[in-house]
Amino acid sequence: MSDPIVPGREDGDRFDRARRIEWVDLDALAEAECLVVGAGALGNEVVKDLVLSGMRNITLVDMDQVVLSNLNRCLFFREEDDRDRAMKAEIVAERGMQLDPGVEIRAVVSRIEELHETEWERFDVVLGCLDNIMARLHANSHSYHAGIPYIDGGTFGMAGKVQMVIPPETPCFQCGLNRTHYRVLEKRFSCTGRDVSFFEPKMPAEITTTSVVAAIQVREAVKFISGRGDNCIRHVFHYNGMTGMSETLELSIDPECPLHG
Amino acid sequence: MPLRIRVRNAETGATVDMELEGENTVEEIIEGAAGYWEKDAGAYVLRCGKRLLRGQQTVAEVKIMDNDNLELIPDPEGG
Repeated sequence: MSDPIVPGREDGDRFDRARRIEWVDLDALAEAECLVVGAGALGNEVVKDLVLSGMRNITLVDMDQVVLSNLNRCLFFREEDDRDRAMKAEIVAERGMQLDPGVEIRAVVSRIEELHETEWERFDVVLGCLDNIMARLHANSHSYHAGIPYIDGGTFGMAGKVQMVIPPETPCFQCGLNRTHYRVLEKRFSCTGRDVSFFEPKMPAEITTTSVVAAIQVREAVKFISGRGDNCIRHVFHYNGMTGMSETLELSIDPECPLHG
Repeated sequence: MPLRIRVRNAETGATVDMELEGENTVEEIIEGAAGYWEKDAGAYVLRCGKRLLRGQQTVAEVKIMDNDNLELIPDPEGG
């Protein structure tokens, strides 16, 4: 005789609806160690989606303070955080854990370059939520050397992209760079911070494109951790919010790329 | 023998024709088109159909053909 059903029991389970997606492995998601690099617009959305998707162990690295202009696209920030000069990573960690007390989000207030090399090996997936190419290259290379998937997201106004790097199978972030990237290597494209000159023009950024890109990043992470790596993006996903078009464009491995050599 | 291709500006829809030799690189196409449209300093990539072309590749290597249509896309690097 099977257990009796109890009306409404399924609504007492936070993840009841996720369990109904057969391929999602909630146990694997709960065990996985996830590194999120950047606590700006993408980082806010990514952490929100990771927590709600069932990830339990998140490390979040960011060196910046909250400023008022972040608030049009960073759901965890408040006006008092600007007044208090609060650190982004700490605020996102604190408020992200309020979404689910069972989650641990470790805030690391530093540049990603300061994360010790041995630290990378403990992670199962890295999500790049950065605003400059130099830091992306750092995250890309360290993830690659550790053999960990790196899921990079980028936005520019209504345009966005996601590249998933699965070492050694797919092209990496560096494979897709050209001279125009190297000319703006250290330019900060949307956020603010200690290294940004006040006269540097800021790039357009808004929440809807941010949300789309972050959602795709997290979805790829969930697929990979759940054992569905074969269904992951293998090239570069481009999104245009003005036209509603999105497609995955094929990128080949650069034979001159030092990571693949 | 030079070949003639058309590059489309993904942001505005404008197009420009370019005359290329086999040894021209993808980077030269990107910089030529970006310069023509006086685009802001930033990262750009070039697509041909479903392919993203790598900067160091030559026209011959990526098999760009006469009358091909390429598209210059800003590479979103904000976050």
